[in-house]
Amino acid sequence: MNASRFISLVHTQALMKLKSQANNLVLSYLWWVLEPLLYVLLFYFVFKYVLYRGGENFLTFLMVGKISFLWFSKAVTSGANSLIENKGLLMQRDMPKAMFPLVNCQEAFYKQQIAFVVLFVVLIVNGFSASFHWLNLIPIILLQYLLTIGVAAFFSVFVTIAQDFRMVIQLFMLGLMFTSGIFWDVNLIQDPNLKDMLLLLNPLAALIQGYREVLMWQGVLEFKYMLSITCWALLAIILGTFLLTKNSNYLTRKLL
Amino acid sequence: MSHTVVSLQDVGLSYSVRTGLFKRFKFNALDNVSFTISKGEIFGVLGNNGSGKSTLLKVLAGVLIPDSGSIEWLGDVTRSLLALGLGFNNQLTGRDNALISCMLNGYSKADATEKLEEIKAFSELGDFFEQPVKTYSSGMRAKLGFTTGLVLDVDILLIDEVLSVGDRTFKEKAERALLNKMKGDQTVIFVSHSAKQIARLCDRCLWLNNGKIMALGRTENVMSEYHQYTTKTLKEKDKANVA
Repeated sequence: MNASRFISLVHTQALMKLKSQANNLVLSYLWWVLEPLLYVLLFYFVFKYVLYRGGENFLTFLMVGKISFLWFSKAVTSGANSLIENKGLLMQRDMPKAMFPLVNCQEAFYKQQIAFVVLFVVLIVNGFSASFHWLNLIPIILLQYLLTIGVAAFFSVFVTIAQDFRMVIQLFMLGLMFTSGIFWDVNLIQDPNLKDMLLLLNPLAALIQGYREVLMWQGVLEFKYMLSITCWALLAIILGTFLLTKNSNYLTRKLL
Repeated sequence: MSHTVVSLQDVGLSYSVRTGLFKRFKFNALDNVSFTISKGEIFGVLGNNGSGKSTLLKVLAGVLIPDSGSIEWLGDVTRSLLALGLGFNNQLTGRDNALISCMLNGYSKADATEKLEEIKAFSELGDFFEQPVKTYSSGMRAKLGFTTGLVLDVDILLIDEVLSVGDRTFKEKAERALLNKMKGDQTVIFVSHSAKQIARLCDRCLWLNNGKIMALGRTENVMSEYHQYTTKTLKEKDKANVA
């Protein structure tokens, strides 16, 4: 299978998944908009009125973080289960296993476009003006996409070997949610070394920081952190593809 | 002159299933299996449940790699495995599933889309073709699976019990289509527990029991051995019951 056929196949499967999912829900496609909105409303309510936290622009701040985090966590969780989900196809013919986490990530990516539109609307309503500066989002989105497919492929190996690993993923996502600065500002860390380390070691924290720089603070993306995200993403992609290819036969038997 | 399209030499495969934290259940699904299949042949595989038939087809489809022995193919042979319950995403419509199957077999999206009307017509699914596969009966699934495999024009069609379900008229139509395909260059490997169906379709066949080959060769010879064996085991069972 050549590259263009492969891409066309991934795209087609992702679109079909979107369609079939929507058909399963009463509100259908409306959920793509409702879901990010409901999450943010919930968080806003909890932090503003129950925990009394947050200051000016807290809703926007929260939304930028949460919407990009949701993309990552949903895509990785669904990608990690993708081999088990497509057992019927994998038992039928020999094909590159990396395709399946990729399909699920692609599907999440298409949905994320709508979440981004919701985000932009909220930003503009809250007085942030759209500008050419927002084009700086393109590298961030691209990096997040790469990170997502890499981590999803990597995790899919372990979930296929032992479904117990799903619990580990849940815990991992919870840990990431607290350490990526979704409802708190990484810039508030007093120790500059600690802050630097967090942004280098947690690519998601660096990504969310990047989204806020571009969308809210009109700041510039720091090259160092973009480079570290790239490294993490490439590491995950290489490791994930390697493990999926190298253990292909073993994984097939695990699916039986 | 018939060319050998695939030859298996001492193929063995065993499964090991975890049944508890430290407990494992191991069994040989295929044990020293050797045979060859010629181009354009309809080759039957006969055997009871758990005899290793489906495993053998998965090995031939390239899904499972055997633990021992070797398989040699005549060049680059395209294959498609048709088995009940395999190859479908239950959430997608019959049309979407057929499209993906075609694309997975190397068709471009445009070429695959062209094939869809042919699939719809042959499969006799009518309006169900546009409904999710989860709404299908097992016979309808078999029809969709068989038709999709049929129109794909692969070199070897591997059929696992798909023709054991479904109504008689469709079965007859499917069997005719298979015989027609064989007149072309397509090779069909056909798994069934129905000895009658194998006798009707295949020139040569193989009888598997507990992963071992019990008999191999012309269908009438294999069949007579198979029938002798089944009558014998039946009698033994009866004796055991009386005692």
